[in-house]
Amino acid sequence: MQSKRIAGGLAVSLLLATALSTAQAADMTFDRAVNADKEPQNWLLHHKNYSAHRFSQLKDINTSTVKNLRMAWTVALSGYQSGGRYESGNLEVTPIVENGVMYVTDGWGSVYALDVKSGRKADMLWKMDPGTDRAWAGDVACCGVNNRGVALWKDKVVSIALDGRIFLINKETGEMLWERKVGEPAVGETITAAPLVVRDVAITGSAGGEFGIRGWLDGTDLNTGKQAWRTFTIPGPGEPGHETWKDGKNHYLHGGASVWVTPTYDPELDTFYVGVGNAGPDYDPDFRPGDNKWAASVLAMAPGDGKIKWGFQYTPNDPYDYDEISEHPLIDAKINGQDRKLVTHGARNGFYYVLDRANGSFVAGKQYIDKLTWATGLDPKTGMPLEYDPKLDVQQYVKGTVANRARPNGDVKCPTTTGGKNWEPSAYNPDLNLMYLPTAEGCNSLVMQAQADFKDQGGTVNPRDRFTGGSGKPAGDVTGAIKAVDPVTGETRATARWKYPNWSGVLATAGNVIFAGWLDGEFKAYDGKTLEELWAFNTGCGIKAPPISYSVNGKQYVTVAAGPFFLGTKPPDLKNAATCSMVYTFTL
Amino acid sequence: MKKLYGFMFAAAAAFALTVSSASAQTPAPTESAADLREIEYGKDIFKTKANCQFCHKWDGSGDQGYGGNALPLRTTELTLEQFVETVKCGRIGTGMPYHDRFAYNDKRCYDTTREELGNDTPPIANEYLQPREIAAVAKYVFARQKGRGVKGSYEDCLDFWGKESKQCEQFK
Repeated sequence: MQSKRIAGGLAVSLLLATALSTAQAADMTFDRAVNADKEPQNWLLHHKNYSAHRFSQLKDINTSTVKNLRMAWTVALSGYQSGGRYESGNLEVTPIVENGVMYVTDGWGSVYALDVKSGRKADMLWKMDPGTDRAWAGDVACCGVNNRGVALWKDKVVSIALDGRIFLINKETGEMLWERKVGEPAVGETITAAPLVVRDVAITGSAGGEFGIRGWLDGTDLNTGKQAWRTFTIPGPGEPGHETWKDGKNHYLHGGASVWVTPTYDPELDTFYVGVGNAGPDYDPDFRPGDNKWAASVLAMAPGDGKIKWGFQYTPNDPYDYDEISEHPLIDAKINGQDRKLVTHGARNGFYYVLDRANGSFVAGKQYIDKLTWATGLDPKTGMPLEYDPKLDVQQYVKGTVANRARPNGDVKCPTTTGGKNWEPSAYNPDLNLMYLPTAEGCNSLVMQAQADFKDQGGTVNPRDRFTGGSGKPAGDVTGAIKAVDPVTGETRATARWKYPNWSGVLATAGNVIFAGWLDGEFKAYDGKTLEELWAFNTGCGIKAPPISYSVNGKQYVTVAAGPFFLGTKPPDLKNAATCSMVYTFTL
Repeated sequence: MKKLYGFMFAAAAAFALTVSSASAQTPAPTESAADLREIEYGKDIFKTKANCQFCHKWDGSGDQGYGGNALPLRTTELTLEQFVETVKCGRIGTGMPYHDRFAYNDKRCYDTTREELGNDTPPIANEYLQPREIAAVAKYVFARQKGRGVKGSYEDCLDFWGKESKQCEQFK
């Protein structure tokens, strides 16, 4: 009944939207962003809502009907061109959909507006190619040519490019109204995360943790195109946390702690939550004695001025490259009879964390990955790894798992360097009260190479040189899974496995179906409770982008982009897989 | 095959003798039009198809990180023949991949097979290369990288990336 009413209302409003030009569609206001879930037909924010639930309220596609899902339309994008270190671009975009118009990006930063109202094809309304300097930016991108999507603001589109720029675009025409240089590839900074817009400020951060940057978050005032604020993720002298950089040589100035995934936001607390990347150099922890705050952490920050409210560090003095940039979904739950506002995180280090989002205190944590060997658990009071020793400047964790100057070849440890879960987003179904974590199940070892200093600190390393202090070494196959976990305890309730690590992330829906894509092009639907596979389609091209759902003219669609770049060696059975750059949409 | 490698070795040796003090991008007087064409072809493979630069860096100065600890090619002590063998067969126990599709199916590489090596088998390259492609990439490395200092110059950079990018400004 409820769904029929919604569908009826949708049909009327979408017919109206069809009659109007996109310029006359309602402006994207702060109020609409806060209430994004009240527009189930649209996918207005990067993570669907500010809480990063990636949960569509649409339910025409459900556990009974999903078997009838068929392809509605597909469209080819550009962006597969080579540049810098990469033989092709990569598609990791989460599409935004507003009133039958879809906004997608390719890895080199072109933005495409697609009219998807017909339900049978995507008409390209416009394309804005920012003319990214591919060689320059692509040479300092650590892990592929990426652009994870756009944001909407008023009657404009906000986008970014790998070469460090942010753009404001006319939503109707695709005209670039202004651009602002935010990141500086000359020092290894690139931008890949979709911006988070809160009121009139677009927040983004810098990737480059493998190139000796000092990470930051930056607010752009969208009314003026000028900087509103900038906050470094590594505290400077006099700021709390600076004392955790004990080298005495100002190594914090090249200490990494990058940001490359869109934060979550709580309007009531007016706080955003952002995951922060690994310390640099990644694999030479002796270079940077101390806990290295706020690398491998979450920061709670004010969107108006960028002030840090609190931080929580997952892996102090991280020797494993357990970069914790991925999303931090917000949930409210009753714990021991008390209503709690929580921030959660499926961490790259293999543990699932639950924190109080008002103050950052540790609530719960549990291993979600099959095999975790670098720590034996988390301290139930502090959330610190049990082997963490605050008296040590260079952490050892479980013996042998760290590569360091005393022992440059580490033993095999799990999860792998790329983590139990990397950037690919989780999803949360509030009806079933389940969090879905996409995982990579496997192990590797590390090889330390003593890192030289940057030239500005008396060494030999130039800006834009890699600054990793070693590398990872494969140790067997890495497979993957989708895991349904209790969002408060982290207890795993169901698992769906596949032969590759998951790099697409998950979509949850009110039809109690979840969707995920895989490297071999399999796009699968699972029962939200049991994770039993209900439907699959092979796109013929690997999927590394998160699926979304929207409706137009009262009909529900599911969309996913396909177009992979393989970091490192391809899985042997995908050896001859070519890349592509496509968007696929399915309907009943 | 062997003949080709022998020819290449001789050509590279001759080349090395004649260009040791020449600027990097300036073709040696002994480079024929056919040589230059093969060197350009090798550069393209190094840059894009085999993507050697991902691990070894665009100038072959070596690098570290997600590609593994990749050795500097500019200071390699390998002969051309050994270099070709390394591209073809990879390096056992390291991240250097093999580019000959049949490398460890028979004993053509280091007189061993995948079965004998087990986990020490080098990784498979993302793109296999034919013998003429391996020869070209080796020729490029020996003509434009090996023996020309530990890092590429501004001119080397322009030769590799072209003039339209900011990529080379830092080397001015």
